[in-house]
Amino acid sequence: MPVFRIPTPLRPYSGGNSQVTVGGDTVGAALEDLTGQYPDLRQHLYDGRELRSFVNIYLNQEDIRFGDGVNTAVGQDDTLMIIPSIAGG
Amino acid sequence: MLRLNQANIEAIHAHGIASYPYEGCGLLLGRAEPDLNIVKHIFPVPNSWEVEEEKTARFLITDRDMLRAELAAAERDLDIVGVFHSHPDSPPVASPRDLAWAAWPGHSYLITEITGRRPGQSRSWQLLQDRSGFVEEPIAIDQP
Repeated sequence: MPVFRIPTPLRPYSGGNSQVTVGGDTVGAALEDLTGQYPDLRQHLYDGRELRSFVNIYLNQEDIRFGDGVNTAVGQDDTLMIIPSIAGG
Repeated sequence: MLRLNQANIEAIHAHGIASYPYEGCGLLLGRAEPDLNIVKHIFPVPNSWEVEEEKTARFLITDRDMLRAELAAAERDLDIVGVFHSHPDSPPVASPRDLAWAAWPGHSYLITEITGRRPGQSRSWQLLQDRSGFVEEPIAIDQP
């Protein structure tokens, strides 16, 4: 089954796990499953119903925005990563 | 608390000086323990802020560079425990922009003042859980 790798600051909300196995055949379904298993992750990933603007999802090291976004198909051996962009000044 | 060694600090200073008068930035790689981020390695990345002349007071770490940092950390069996950036000619205090564009609580946000190409004070900040502000955290520097 596909796996989500969890960034260090979010591991307190994923039961301390650095990886979470998820169900679903699209990125969107995998995200729903992830936040279903660990609801406390939702506030850090989402602003309302949308992913926070700094949150980017990579599927096998490819940005899903260059695929079909959350409708991108996910396979059984795939790895999903949650990658932020960070700015300041 | 943020813990680093002298070599990490010197590398952060060097990157800030080399980036001056622009803000330099990068990731802190290491291990996260309860209430303690331990830096083992720093990973400088380009300041990708889109408006060149604004880089004196703005920085952007793209998700593509963050991915490179995540993969570099994984190769070393480390995690990303924080972000560092420099404030050219201004105090190392977390700004409203640092707050608005921060990622998640738990990272150490290390800011170093660089004044006239000389390193100044570093201060480190933790984003509050409700994202309402930053609280300062102590820095411990391991001497060789």
